[in-house]
Amino acid sequence: MRRRWFLLGGLVLFFLGLRVLDVGLGELIPSEGGRQLAGEFFAAAFQPALDYEDVSIREVGEPFFSKVGKAAWLTVKYAVVAMSLALVLGVAGGILGSRSWWNRPSRALEALRLFIRLLATALRSVHELIWAILFLAAVGTSPVAAMLAMALPYGGTLAKVFSELLDEANQSPAKVMQSAGGSGMASFLGTAVGAMPDLLTYAMYRLECAVRSSAVLGFVGVPTLGYEIKVSFEDGHYREIWTFVFALLVIVLFFEWWGGRIRKMLVTGVPSRTKLEAGASVARLWQQRGTSLFLRVSGALIVALVSAGWLLEDRWGAGLSAAQRWENLQRFGKELVPYPVQESGDWSKVWGWLGQLMREEGWEAIWRTFHLGTAAVLLAGAVALMGLVWSSRSLATIEPRGIPVAGGRVRRLFGQALRLLAVLARSAPEYLLAFLLLQIFGPTMWALIFALAIHNSGILSRLGGEVVDNNDSGAAEMMLSSGASREACFLGALLPEGFNRMVLFLFYRWETCIREATILGMLGVGSLGFLISEARVSFYYDELLLWVVLGASLVFVGDLASDFVRAKLRAGGQAVPAGPACGLPTVNQ
Amino acid sequence: MFQLQSVSLHYGGVVALDSLDLELSAGEQVCLIGPSGAGKSSLLGLLNGRTSASQGEVLVEGTSFSKLSRKVLRAVRSRIAWVPQDLGLVSSLRVHQNVACGRVAEKGFWGLLRSFLWMSAQEKREIHELLKRVGIEEKIFVRVDHLSGGQQQRVALARALYQKPQAILADEPVSAVDPERARDLVALLTSLAKEEGITLIMSLHDVALARQFFDRVVGLREGRVVFDGRADEAGVKNLYRLEKSLPEMP
Repeated sequence: MRRRWFLLGGLVLFFLGLRVLDVGLGELIPSEGGRQLAGEFFAAAFQPALDYEDVSIREVGEPFFSKVGKAAWLTVKYAVVAMSLALVLGVAGGILGSRSWWNRPSRALEALRLFIRLLATALRSVHELIWAILFLAAVGTSPVAAMLAMALPYGGTLAKVFSELLDEANQSPAKVMQSAGGSGMASFLGTAVGAMPDLLTYAMYRLECAVRSSAVLGFVGVPTLGYEIKVSFEDGHYREIWTFVFALLVIVLFFEWWGGRIRKMLVTGVPSRTKLEAGASVARLWQQRGTSLFLRVSGALIVALVSAGWLLEDRWGAGLSAAQRWENLQRFGKELVPYPVQESGDWSKVWGWLGQLMREEGWEAIWRTFHLGTAAVLLAGAVALMGLVWSSRSLATIEPRGIPVAGGRVRRLFGQALRLLAVLARSAPEYLLAFLLLQIFGPTMWALIFALAIHNSGILSRLGGEVVDNNDSGAAEMMLSSGASREACFLGALLPEGFNRMVLFLFYRWETCIREATILGMLGVGSLGFLISEARVSFYYDELLLWVVLGASLVFVGDLASDFVRAKLRAGGQAVPAGPACGLPTVNQ
Repeated sequence: MFQLQSVSLHYGGVVALDSLDLELSAGEQVCLIGPSGAGKSSLLGLLNGRTSASQGEVLVEGTSFSKLSRKVLRAVRSRIAWVPQDLGLVSSLRVHQNVACGRVAEKGFWGLLRSFLWMSAQEKREIHELLKRVGIEEKIFVRVDHLSGGQQQRVALARALYQKPQAILADEPVSAVDPERARDLVALLTSLAKEEGITLIMSLHDVALARQFFDRVVGLREGRVVFDGRADEAGVKNLYRLEKSLPEMP
């Protein structure tokens, strides 16, 4: 009954969202120009540029692949350097925001913990793109601004997730160590090293996200792959766009593969090389211990990447002097003050200014942003759910769940194709997808809904697939043995049993969709992002700050609501594991 | 070594221990027997100061736990090893790193971190020798989650011994293994404790094991001592009834 209400509620919310966003089915058919552009654009995908499309640049500019390589390196560089900063914030915030290091509870420690958790949530409530805009406006273009823009929200996210992972880690070793006379911090090591595989797993996942974010920062002027894509689009060089897009996909897929392999090794460990001998010396046993060249090389590579990122380039950029940056910062600080107060110095005028802006644009933008995120995640959930029966590894095979059923070969191929599509969908940043779709559909909210839905359906289909594949209740096998089809088995056993977990994942992604929805409007379609973008180009920094704070508040409330619902689901659901990552940190947030 | 004087322990409205008087001497091997909820774990918790008594005094070598400063309490605890039911091992660490945790009081935060990252050759040798005594020396550099349940228990035992304790408190450490392995482990633990002169206080469910390996058995029911002495023929019937949660015979 509850499931039915949930589905009905989702359906109502989706159509209400479409109404609020004022989108009609007619807008799904691109105009003549849009169709032509889409045709040219997609045709270019089959022949990506190997050199500049503009012949005049070939002779004077740097070689094309040098430019691609440089943009790719900067994309990776900003990601790893930002992550190295974010890790420092995340580890410090993660420890201070958890209870696991306390010797005994106290009010002061609890207050500190709550403060850190709120700070972490506040930092991550502002999207990295918006942080970038604020930093660029405040101190001008510089690599440090781009790195900080990513490091702050990522640090907040890491702090939040790390503290939850530490609190939910096995506390038993720490208790044993306290019982053996260990201090609070020494005993905390027992908890921390126990949680280490999960912490590293999550950090690796964030590194994958950082690569995508780094590319997206290009859209506000940071010279990463996103910047080159934007410039090529403005020049109408579609084949060049695809070269940059493919370069980005290769990097993202490499990081996903690399991170996935590291994660797997950290969780399962490396077995000993040979059979261990009882009488062997310590030195001999040390040689025989399980080690992994892959893990060592990966560790060295990460250290090399971070060091190179920090050392190889002028961190402040050569464009502006320190004095000019300081002047910029002071001007920016002054202009953040609401306009009527700047004029009169009277702070009582703030309310009138605020009320007018909210009435004219603010409330509507918040409402539209909320519905954009919600409609997109519902669409993504529906697509992922419908695709599961054809994409899950345990069903889309010749012998689903070990039981021979007719007609498996085509399904297996289809399943592989769907899973590949899901990988591509989740590898493509939402902002980039929205940018491309807007060119095809024109300025309609459908483009933004689809962009968010495509990316999230890729993630949800993987999460849902794991729920289905890890189901071991035996009911599905029983149904298949009794002659039921894969579809009947999915609808009759796997879906009902995994429903709670799937809803839980949907709420995770909803929180993220709301966050992304606040910025997608920057591409020119009405939502909070649009107002941010408008204020930025008009240099109305007071309004810019207001819209940023509103967006952050919406994400903050979304975070809390999502946390609340997930806690309820965990408490009520039988098979929902605890933990910020639901046992699957790979695709959280 | 330990004295409990009219000790009661309440969790909210629930009485875990009720006016308990008990004396446990140094070097003694004592088995606590009783049904679930009888107060065995609560009693063990009081003996190293992890929990405080609601009423009465718990004395360790003549001094009340409640009167110890935090520093002294840590020093006292460093001489009392605890082996919990779930063993309290860090599953993603190797055996030698887990064993090193036994000396957490001596090493402190940085010393323990160093042992995790770059353990000295001497410490490795020392742990290897200890593991020989519990029969798993070849597993010294294996991740704990790659070991069987029985081997993990031996790691927990090695960690307790590495602490160089005067007493070991073991809370049903063999509840999750088959009877044969349980017998082996209790035999190993009691013999090692005897060799080292360590006080051993272990809670068990199995009366047969208690009779075979312990001279003194303390039976608990609803937070009270209902049996204390040798598990000879006279008392054994009541112990078996206790094991099956049946009322005491007159």
